[in-house]
Amino acid sequence: MKTLFTCLLLLIALTGEARAGTTLDRVRRTGVLTDVLLDSYPPFGFIDANNELAGFDVDVARAFAARLGVKLNLQTPAWEAIVSGHWQGRWDVCICSMSPTRERAQVLDFPAVYYNSPAVLTVHRDDAAIKGPADLTGKRVGVGIGSSYEKYLGKELVIPGAPPLVYPFHDVMVIPGDESINFRNLALGPGVRLDAVVSDLATARTISEANHALKIVGPVLYSEPNAVATEQGDADWDRTVAHTFEELRQDGTLAKISRKWFATDITADGH
Amino acid sequence: MAIEDVPLPAATTRRFRQRVWLTWAVLALLLAAGAHELHLDFPYIAQKLPFLLGLKLSPDGFIQGAALTIFVTVCSMFCALLVAVVTATGRLSKNPLAFAIATFYASLFRGTPLLVQVLIIYLALPQIGVVLGALSSGLIALSLNYGAYLAETIRSGVMAVPAGQREAAMALALPRWVITWKVIAPQALRLIIPPAGALFVSMLKDSSLVSIMGLWELNFLAQSYARTSYHYMEMLIAAALIYWSLSIVFELVQLRLERHFGKGVAVAGAR
Repeated sequence: MKTLFTCLLLLIALTGEARAGTTLDRVRRTGVLTDVLLDSYPPFGFIDANNELAGFDVDVARAFAARLGVKLNLQTPAWEAIVSGHWQGRWDVCICSMSPTRERAQVLDFPAVYYNSPAVLTVHRDDAAIKGPADLTGKRVGVGIGSSYEKYLGKELVIPGAPPLVYPFHDVMVIPGDESINFRNLALGPGVRLDAVVSDLATARTISEANHALKIVGPVLYSEPNAVATEQGDADWDRTVAHTFEELRQDGTLAKISRKWFATDITADGH
Repeated sequence: MAIEDVPLPAATTRRFRQRVWLTWAVLALLLAAGAHELHLDFPYIAQKLPFLLGLKLSPDGFIQGAALTIFVTVCSMFCALLVAVVTATGRLSKNPLAFAIATFYASLFRGTPLLVQVLIIYLALPQIGVVLGALSSGLIALSLNYGAYLAETIRSGVMAVPAGQREAAMALALPRWVITWKVIAPQALRLIIPPAGALFVSMLKDSSLVSIMGLWELNFLAQSYARTSYHYMEMLIAAALIYWSLSIVFELVQLRLERHFGKGVAVAGAR
């Protein structure tokens, strides 16, 4: 009976992880910022040789937490858990390379854009047929599951505040999955499992430099903003995020982090 | 005495055992030779092994890797056992309400995939304001799912004890709890332990589903390392071998329990 009681207490203690109150109050009260990000999305977020989370997004999160004067707590749930919203106080912020889309804006707020990423097309080295987006018709194209690239190939991508996109293809067989597994499948050969992958330029470049079976082709498909996401309903917190990121941009912190990871400044025209 | 209960000569038993060990050794060698042909990056495995095994704490100071896998499995096993005993009691009860609740629960949790249950508890419940932590969601899902299966195992074990045993005990005017715990339970346990052991071995492997919630258990780390470094074969084989070793330990425990509760009917020559 005693063990049963202890077990129940333990369970209650564990479920007590959820915290009530608005985000800003919670961050101030606990002195901890809980940020969610991806664990296998190099060079933005990955587990490094020392088994620590590292990457552009991690450094940005560190700078953000330092500026707020709070401790940083990083969590790595599945992407679907992040984009589906309804965090209910589980997490405070997502500095996780998320592009604002119309659908996501229904469940999340995007108070600050912190970098811009061009979407590009990657194919196998031996592929001569695909030279640009117009050649994607009828092809099997891999994209991150729940990503904006999936929406793009489905001709449904609406970036709030940006002009409508052009879709020079039709009947693309969109294959959603883990992005790094997509690249792995593409490297097996043209058309073996995939004909092409649509992804962010920095990711595609990092992967095609490590794996010579892959090459980036054609023009930039479109440029999309990547924003900090927060749970809806706390305007004070959103203002704090926006204001702090503006500071980080103006004093050159974001540019410095960008140059560390990409040798260029991808945070430049973030408005 | 049934024909299979005739004691085997000691020499036959020894020869049988020797051949079993020899065959295992040959099969293991074949597997190792096959793995050798894959030209795995052993230094990389060696570098990641301490993290996969959970010999070091994760960056946020929590247990990780195989240690977390064992923790999740053992906790869920304990809770599943409690749930199962209660459910089996309801299932064997003459009270229609208890019977209905027990059968309804068992049917619901046996009739839906564990993955769907994990996702409902972790992703869907926050939508109605119930926010559980990653670890507690995982424990609850595993306990409820396996509790339903285990309840049926327990019920069948209890039912398989010949009615004469209970009648004889009642004729001796033994108190009810003595009949339950000293007459029925030991005989039922002999029948319950083998299938229950099999359930726990499969729970050990199903605990990998909690990786969805960002818990850095064995499967999560193996996949994350693999995606980032493209060492899929190395990491997946390492994870598989660790799961296998853990399963063998579970099976050995089960074997000991089986021997203990099988004492009453054990025959010489039983292996």
